[in-house]
Amino acid sequence: MIAPTESAPARVAVVAKKEIVDIFRDRRTMLVTLVTAIVAGPVLMLLVLNLIARQSDKVRELVLPVVGIERAPALKAFLERQQLSLTPAPENFEAGIRSGELDVVLEVDAAFAEDVAQGKPGTVRLAYDRSRDRARAAIAEVEALLRAFNREWGRGRLILRGIAPEVANPLNVESRDLATPQSSGALVLFLIAFYGLFAAVMGGMAAALDTTAGERERMSLEPLLTTPIGPFELATGKWLAVSLLNATAVLLTLTGFYLTLRFAPLPAVGIPFLFGLAELGRFVVALVPLILLMPAILLYVGCRGRTFKEAQSNLSVLLFAISLLPIVQMFLQRKDPAWLTWIPVSGQYSLLSRALRGEALPWFELLQSYMVPALLTVVALSAVGRLFSRESVLAGK
Amino acid sequence: MIVVENLVKAFGRHREVHAVDGVAFTAPDRAITGLLGPNGAGKTTLLRMLSTLMIPDSGSARIEGHDVVNERFAVRRRIGVLSDARGLYPRLTARENIRYYGALQGLAAAALEARIDELVNALGIADIADRRTQGFSQGERMKVAIARALVHDPQTILLDEPTNGLDIMSTRALRTLLRDLRASGKCLLFSSHVMQEVTALCDSIVILGHGRIVATGTAAELVAQSGESVLEDAFVRLLGSGEGLAA
Repeated sequence: MIAPTESAPARVAVVAKKEIVDIFRDRRTMLVTLVTAIVAGPVLMLLVLNLIARQSDKVRELVLPVVGIERAPALKAFLERQQLSLTPAPENFEAGIRSGELDVVLEVDAAFAEDVAQGKPGTVRLAYDRSRDRARAAIAEVEALLRAFNREWGRGRLILRGIAPEVANPLNVESRDLATPQSSGALVLFLIAFYGLFAAVMGGMAAALDTTAGERERMSLEPLLTTPIGPFELATGKWLAVSLLNATAVLLTLTGFYLTLRFAPLPAVGIPFLFGLAELGRFVVALVPLILLMPAILLYVGCRGRTFKEAQSNLSVLLFAISLLPIVQMFLQRKDPAWLTWIPVSGQYSLLSRALRGEALPWFELLQSYMVPALLTVVALSAVGRLFSRESVLAGK
Repeated sequence: MIVVENLVKAFGRHREVHAVDGVAFTAPDRAITGLLGPNGAGKTTLLRMLSTLMIPDSGSARIEGHDVVNERFAVRRRIGVLSDARGLYPRLTARENIRYYGALQGLAAAALEARIDELVNALGIADIADRRTQGFSQGERMKVAIARALVHDPQTILLDEPTNGLDIMSTRALRTLLRDLRASGKCLLFSSHVMQEVTALCDSIVILGHGRIVATGTAAELVAQSGESVLEDAFVRLLGSGEGLAA
């Protein structure tokens, strides 16, 4: 079952095979990988989808607490015509808003009827906390209704004075929303892209550290280096094994999303099915460079650590920087600059976003996004090989 | 056969720590050569150079005619090393640990399995051979590490403090094994800081102190050379200090 190893590829295969057995028997590594990969992503997505669903429900059956609405009977009638149910607001409604119990409260000024009778604008006040995401839909809805009432009232006055309402509305705004059905659920899209990246970056972490820093810590590296395995063959074998695990983690994560979106009883939030097998395939194609690059980098960092712990703390800085990239990119919002495609992680993220918008992957950019990671993989692997041939690697704990 | 000529290895920023400083000796086949010295005498560094893990600053060493620097991979096929570090893979069984090294040494499947069975029986670890090595006792670990080092039936065997942490039964079993290996014509180089070990086993002894060879010879020759009556006193006298006792 084991081929003779008088050649470098055969020795690499022996190392890779042993490492794969070793990795897949490691319960801790497998558990961490499986939990973060398969469970966390889809569960988070379900939560987000439910949140979106609740928000849209809220708008549909908005209950608006009001103060002094009897001073503005026309407004009251208008709001009720718009299917809003008006309830008297509690005394301490400001505290209610701060605590999140109330989304928005409408207060009609005490002098409203008087001001209106004198031809002055009547004052109404909206109280809300815009920093709360869940309240935003309700706030926007009430604001829009008040604007509509304002318009209607104004039109009525103009018509009474014999003036065409168009006189006061010289600009007619027609808007066309070019968002495809896919691009509307932006948060869900970001979540899937982020988790795909996350799996590709983190999938091999525990295994990579275990097979390098762990091997040093367990004192099994020194005897291994007295066998005919060359340092670069050793690095390559370990890299193949960790890459396989990484690919498995990515595939499981994406399959988790696919199955969740396909079969889970999702609340209807107006997002059509957006992550099908075509998207899954494009994701894998876009993530291949990271799936191969990250294990090489992780092995390098792992090799520099004398113990698992030491390597782990070295890693946290690197991983923090990497996970920050797509978040920064999301907040940039503008069109991505062209050079971004060259940068590992960022390049992959923009390709993933395009895949999620339902676009095919452009060949040229795909090729671009492969080049730097490929180069870095070779550099990192040779660095690992050089570390394995250094005497300092023998220094144990 | 191991031929060592003027090996030098220094550590530190300015190479100020002379771990091995001009060591020369020959370890013949069909013999156990003992490397005796207190802690820090340079035994492990010397063995690491012989097992191609470290490159000497100067001097040379040849194992079965192959240079440890320029022909390191040829050397690695010919040596079995039981180093100071003898970590096993805890998630692999004893048999899998041994098989890994055999495969890396280029043994073909059938021959490898036969050889593993042979070693498992010789070392008396048949009952634990298919268990994962996690939780093995010191003695069990040592036996697996020895089987792993001997899987390709090397002509030259390097052992760094092999009896460290072993109980008397395991130590005796190890001695028997080493004598058997000698009888089959192997060249064994064995380091220790325990005099009884060395006297019990070795055909000739090389005493190291501060990276230099202090004396060589059989146990009897060393005793005669120092003018003492027992080897321990001879050892201390030859090192020229009381540091042998601290070992």
